[in-house]
Amino acid sequence: MYELRAVDKHFPGVHALQAVDLEVRRGEIVGLVGENGAGKSTLMKVIYGAYQPDGGEIAIDGKTVRFQNPRQAMHHGIGMVFQEQSLIPNLTVMENIYLGFEDRFVQFGVISWRSMAAAAREQLAKVKLDIDPAAITSDLSFAQRQLVELAKVLTLEERIDGDLVILLDEPTSVLAEDEVKLLFRIVRDLTKRASFIFVSHRIDEVLDLSDRIYVMKDGRIVDVVQRDDAEVSVIQRKMVGREIDKEYYREQKQKPYNPAHVLVSFDDVSLPGAYHHISFDLHAGEVLCLVGTEGSGREAILRTVYGLDSCSSGIVTVKGERITRFSAMAGVRRGIGHVPRERKVEGIVNGMNVYENMTLAQLRRFARLGVMNVPEEKRLATRWTERLGIKTPSITKDCGGLSGGNQQKVVLAKWRSGGSDVLLLDHPTRGLDIGAKEDVYEMIREMSADGVGILLVADTLEEAIGLSHTILVLKDGEIQKRFDGTPGSKPSLYDLVHHMI
Amino acid sequence: MPDMTREFLKPHFPWITLVALTIIVGLANPDFLSISGLISLMADVVPLLIMALGMTFAIYIGGIDLSVQQLANMVTVMTTVYLAQYGIGVALLVILAGALFGAVSGFVTTRLYVPSFVSTLAIGFIALSIAKWLSDQRALFMDATLRDIHFGWMFDTTMGVPHELVLGLVLVLLAWFLQTRTSFGRALKAVGSGELAAVASGLDVDRVKILAFCISGMFAACAGLMFSVKLSGGDAQLANGFLLLAIVAVLVGGTPLTGGVGGVINTLIGTLIVMVIRAAMVYLEVDATQQQMVFGIVLIIAIALTIDRSKLRGVVK
Repeated sequence: MYELRAVDKHFPGVHALQAVDLEVRRGEIVGLVGENGAGKSTLMKVIYGAYQPDGGEIAIDGKTVRFQNPRQAMHHGIGMVFQEQSLIPNLTVMENIYLGFEDRFVQFGVISWRSMAAAAREQLAKVKLDIDPAAITSDLSFAQRQLVELAKVLTLEERIDGDLVILLDEPTSVLAEDEVKLLFRIVRDLTKRASFIFVSHRIDEVLDLSDRIYVMKDGRIVDVVQRDDAEVSVIQRKMVGREIDKEYYREQKQKPYNPAHVLVSFDDVSLPGAYHHISFDLHAGEVLCLVGTEGSGREAILRTVYGLDSCSSGIVTVKGERITRFSAMAGVRRGIGHVPRERKVEGIVNGMNVYENMTLAQLRRFARLGVMNVPEEKRLATRWTERLGIKTPSITKDCGGLSGGNQQKVVLAKWRSGGSDVLLLDHPTRGLDIGAKEDVYEMIREMSADGVGILLVADTLEEAIGLSHTILVLKDGEIQKRFDGTPGSKPSLYDLVHHMI
Repeated sequence: MPDMTREFLKPHFPWITLVALTIIVGLANPDFLSISGLISLMADVVPLLIMALGMTFAIYIGGIDLSVQQLANMVTVMTTVYLAQYGIGVALLVILAGALFGAVSGFVTTRLYVPSFVSTLAIGFIALSIAKWLSDQRALFMDATLRDIHFGWMFDTTMGVPHELVLGLVLVLLAWFLQTRTSFGRALKAVGSGELAAVASGLDVDRVKILAFCISGMFAACAGLMFSVKLSGGDAQLANGFLLLAIVAVLVGGTPLTGGVGGVINTLIGTLIVMVIRAAMVYLEVDATQQQMVFGIVLIIAIALTIDRSKLRGVVK
């Protein structure tokens, strides 16, 4: 009923979608899996009308359609439940549900709240959510908001003739296990009214919910599997393009750390609203991974170590010195480097070239009486570009134009070349392709062999397990469990998840 | 891809505009291209150039300094009032005053989180009040002898080149050196192009910003000083009309309001563009009352052409 035929999409320098065929039948749940950067989000944007394809066509019931914007797509029955929720927090639930479509409740120029509330209640019933439509959205739980979002999309049912196709973009990423089950039950129930495209990087969930699964890699659909023939390991191999094994995370290169040399130490440290009673030691050569859901306090701990946030109680020690004044400047001076999650915004300066980015954290070392020694900077940049294999036409090229992997290497070079021996890595492989990820893993191993202490918040649990010497599982800002990650006795996925939720 | 050619050409727009305008005006009026005529036009525009140079630093970090005109007003009064007392030392006094006002603007912007367009506007009014109070709301005149003793050199010429023009170019070089060769300039670029990355790299972003406003204030004071000596007097309205032109010069030169690209050489070109437009309006006999309107329109066009929409993050979209 809904079909993409040989859809192509180009961006400057990237062939984001290559001849993608996809079909959704009435009442079907179709899964879409792929690594970060495989083209899932581009494909979704084409489906809900935010992007126009440059090749191929979109057909609904055999008729070719073209959407200029998401609103036109909506008129054809295509709705999107966003991953980053699109509800406006300070409006009521019903205002959110009918945002932009209030006309039908307007009498003599004013909105009849009563009829809107009644209509909203009907929508909420579809997703089995029993809340007051006049409740303020920000008061709802995350799971409730997700359902409200779904209810909002379902209003299409009354507005248009024809079938509905609803996109669910990573709807489970912030939900607890029982909430996920509830959501799945509701979605299955709703197949009477609509078809779904379910996008996730959690293969097990996709398998659980979907009738058919499309596997994407490098902008192509590499396989379509029926649920009954599907096997996690097979799909995973197709997504990644090869076997994921110990080799991938360079486990054979994991050397024991030096337990006598403590670089960073937390002793019963708390920051209300973020984390409580956190104690750990980071040793030279250790990769210590903080694992937990979004908001479990992982990032806040990194921020405190770096100096971006202070703590309210407890003792933070960096290299034997107790920290009392927290600032990023002081952190850098103490030899702490920070590889932020938002690489393009916080990692590199878009608009500055390779050598300018590399020396940004150590300007003082390259300045005499405030005047920069540019030849010296260029020598350093050339050395590190070669050492890390950074692919750039020249060290005077704008970093914003490099690929994600090369940008990340520039960020790592920035800290390593300045002699940082404590590195905070916040999702260091986010959005990188496989090859670039492996490079980053290789560098992590090299750094820890050099005696650098690494505090890691990994992109996936597999990555956390594969890379770390020590894993701390956090939940609601408290350490639940400490796992030892010596090769051979690494914890399993299940062990971690069990303590996370 | 027309988009890409546009992106490629964008850095070259300012000088192309300057050359094109000069040729057009030169064709319409060949007198315009005479060397002596051009030199005197350029000498006239030096106070504006200096003010715009300072403004460049504020805009380069994504802010703006609306206090420069009032600072210059205040400085004309200060120079006139204190010339007898301090002689050439008055220059130091007014530059320090400019630095102080700029630093306060920077402090209010960074530490009290008041957006720079409001903080500098407010600081500008404080400067205006001081100017009015100091001048007793009258137009003051300098003692001609004292002026010539201490500042007469500024308006001499060497081989036909006015010293004020040389002074303006020296300040361009100084500003250019600050921007491109110093660690402060590098930090300035980082703050202008990616403030969050600058913070995450451990730069003292607040200090960089305060310094940028401080420099803007100092240059505004220099502009006021030169203007005052040139007109041999001072009053609280003397420099009115400069603010719009200074902003136009920076933006037409190719430093967008979002900051991070462009710089002082761009501002030099921008100031020359302003100069050519102004000369053209004289030849075309555009009424003086309408000139501000023309510059207002030029400003809007310049902003629309130069602004980096990707940095606005949904503010305008």
